[in-house]
Amino acid sequence: MKALILVGGFGTRLRPLTLSLPKPLVDFANKPMILHQIEALKAVGVDEVVLTVNYQAEVMLNFLKDVEAKLEIKITCSRETEPMGTAGPLALARDKLVDGSGEPFFVLNSDVISEYPFKEMIEFHKAHGGEASIMVTKVDEPSKYGVVVMEETTGKVEKFVEKPKLYVGNKINAGIYLLNPSVVDKIELRPTSIKKETFPKIAAAQVLYAMVLPGFWMDIGQPRDYITGLRLYLDSLRKKCPAKLTTGPDIVGNVLVDETAKIGEGCLIGPDVAIGPGCVVESGVRLSRCTVMRGARIKKHACISSSIIGWHSTVGQWARIENMTILGEDVHVRDEIYSNGGVVLPHKEIKSNILMPGIVM
Amino acid sequence: MSEEKVVAVIMVGGPTKGTRFRPLSFNTPKPLIPLAGQPMIHHPISACKKIPNLAQIFLIGFYEEREFALYVSSISNELRIPVRYLKEDKPHGSAGALYYFRDRIMEEKPSHVFLLNCDVCCSFPLQHILDAHRRYGGIGTMLVIKVSAEAASQFGELIADPETKELLHYTEKPETFVSDLINCGVYVFTSDIFKAIEGVYNQMRETCEFSSLMAYLKRIALFFFDFILNLAASNYNHFQYATRSVPADFVRLDQDILSPLAGKKQLYTYENKDFWEQIKTPGKSLKCSDMYLSQFRETSPHLLASGDGTNKKPMIVGDVYIHPSVKLHPTAKIGPNVSISANVRVGPGVRLINCIILDDVEIKDNAVVINSIIGWKSSIGRWSRVQASGDDNERLGITILGEAVTVEDEVAVIGSIVLQNKTLNASVQDDIIL
Repeated sequence: MKALILVGGFGTRLRPLTLSLPKPLVDFANKPMILHQIEALKAVGVDEVVLTVNYQAEVMLNFLKDVEAKLEIKITCSRETEPMGTAGPLALARDKLVDGSGEPFFVLNSDVISEYPFKEMIEFHKAHGGEASIMVTKVDEPSKYGVVVMEETTGKVEKFVEKPKLYVGNKINAGIYLLNPSVVDKIELRPTSIKKETFPKIAAAQVLYAMVLPGFWMDIGQPRDYITGLRLYLDSLRKKCPAKLTTGPDIVGNVLVDETAKIGEGCLIGPDVAIGPGCVVESGVRLSRCTVMRGARIKKHACISSSIIGWHSTVGQWARIENMTILGEDVHVRDEIYSNGGVVLPHKEIKSNILMPGIVM
Repeated sequence: MSEEKVVAVIMVGGPTKGTRFRPLSFNTPKPLIPLAGQPMIHHPISACKKIPNLAQIFLIGFYEEREFALYVSSISNELRIPVRYLKEDKPHGSAGALYYFRDRIMEEKPSHVFLLNCDVCCSFPLQHILDAHRRYGGIGTMLVIKVSAEAASQFGELIADPETKELLHYTEKPETFVSDLINCGVYVFTSDIFKAIEGVYNQMRETCEFSSLMAYLKRIALFFFDFILNLAASNYNHFQYATRSVPADFVRLDQDILSPLAGKKQLYTYENKDFWEQIKTPGKSLKCSDMYLSQFRETSPHLLASGDGTNKKPMIVGDVYIHPSVKLHPTAKIGPNVSISANVRVGPGVRLINCIILDDVEIKDNAVVINSIIGWKSSIGRWSRVQASGDDNERLGITILGEAVTVEDEVAVIGSIVLQNKTLNASVQDDIIL
């Protein structure tokens, strides 16, 4: 089976993290975002993944070579020479995706984190016999998104409504699709959008079916949702594979600590914390609802909550970091500093308090 | 005397310094960012070229060589003088760097060496400084300027003898008022400067070795102390006692050379009668661009654009530089104080005031740009408005669009900074857009 992951873009909403790495390679729960998806695809028998990339393709390819070898899965990049909207890449990748076997292929939005119930989706797709399946997820505030209006029993999609002012339904497009090769023929090779053009056409032809995504869903393309997404992910990990989580006297709730990370004494870590490879957390540190990325050091007595600490950064002794503070790569916060929602670009030193949320360039 | 050769050294800094020049510096080293139609570093280089018997120009910094390779080869060709980029393996301080590369610098046995900082904007009266230096007979002469008392504390303040012009006292960024005469960052030295720097090195090495030794002994003593008390502990912190040792080969020109030599009849001053500004932020670079444009009005008026809206030429007001490759609609009105770089397209009815437009930008019909810097390859939509207060001391006083920013039709961007590759489809004000 094959899969297409829509990468595209500059990832500007996830800056300052994406100033250092392309978005798919930014770590989430101690693993590059895109690796979560590739591993899940491998697990259902996908043997080839095509990525549509139009930015920093060389950086992506270098990383992916290792993944290809380790997972024994073929990975190729399909480069958009100009932005083509979301359905353009499909047509462009046609040659790679349509191999004559008639098997459907997955299309994933690279920002989406979920349990990736691909096996169930394949069964659903076979059962309804239509040309295309789409995952939808229930949300509290549907008018922020694109709502999928569907027949409740069969899941047949009637129409799409973008950011509806009046309530039309509470299921939104989760960014996971399973398509028959015949769909690719319907897309012209010009700037198009899956949501705005391709799918409405398929829905109108009565061959598109929606499945409600079991488990959690999050679009982690921006920092606030990244932090919420980590909580949902770790929650799901507790249910499915609790052995992967870290336990101990200093741990509370769901916490993921890489085996190469060091944690000092007298700390209190958790809930909803991820600590990446090579990190050093000195003694007396309090961490909650945060991500500490590869190589970062948190010095003694510091207190961090609801924040992201970027690669190789340091947080000084007794520093207090909270309220959606995002430190980019190689940021050094001096001892005793307070940051309330500071967004700090890479290679900076923070020598004075950040009292109100703001950007430090 | 007329056979004597002269070389110039321009310090360009490196990538970890100058985060203040973001977002323009993300993809382009600061010295290559254009002002008045030319890369920042071009202005000191042109000034050096005016010195007779100039043998070589050296650029010293810690950017990667490839960042300067293209510029250096093209400027060497253009000026017919060897211009070389020398990369420091690590920061040595400006005097340290001068000393580190002394063999290259003294290759052609120059009688004098000019040292300039790349991020200085001024008229560079180098010949006057050299003439004055020869009269004084010291080992160095520095360009100085009077500024307001409040501004002075950001710079190196100095006292000079009003008669002999000797440098009597120098102090860098003092907290209390010392003098309103400050260091412009432009110097000329004789080769004796290298001996002076060597003297300081030797002194520092002795102090450093001593303090390193003390720190080492301290660490050993503490190790054993802790080991005895905490046999089972795996606490690694004790090995990280800050040594606070002085790096043995970092020699700053100001604090380590000028200050100690002041008052010893070695260093002299030449007072700048013209403009001077340090180009620390993109906002300041706009102000400096304006200063260079008015200098062009005096020295090279052919570089400036002109036009009155007739004969298919747009209306030009005040000092404006337009690269020859620019396509400009005749109904546009440009200036005062505008620089437009290569391959820019300006559509009908566009109004540009006090701004820098970098290469490959497209400005569509009826757009207005005031007090802003528009980054390479950006696109300004129809009837859109990009503006700011114009106060370069305010954080958001100049609007800056990074590389490849798209402002859609009718959108207003007021007092904001926008990082590269963003598309603005809604108006923004007083904001930094990542």
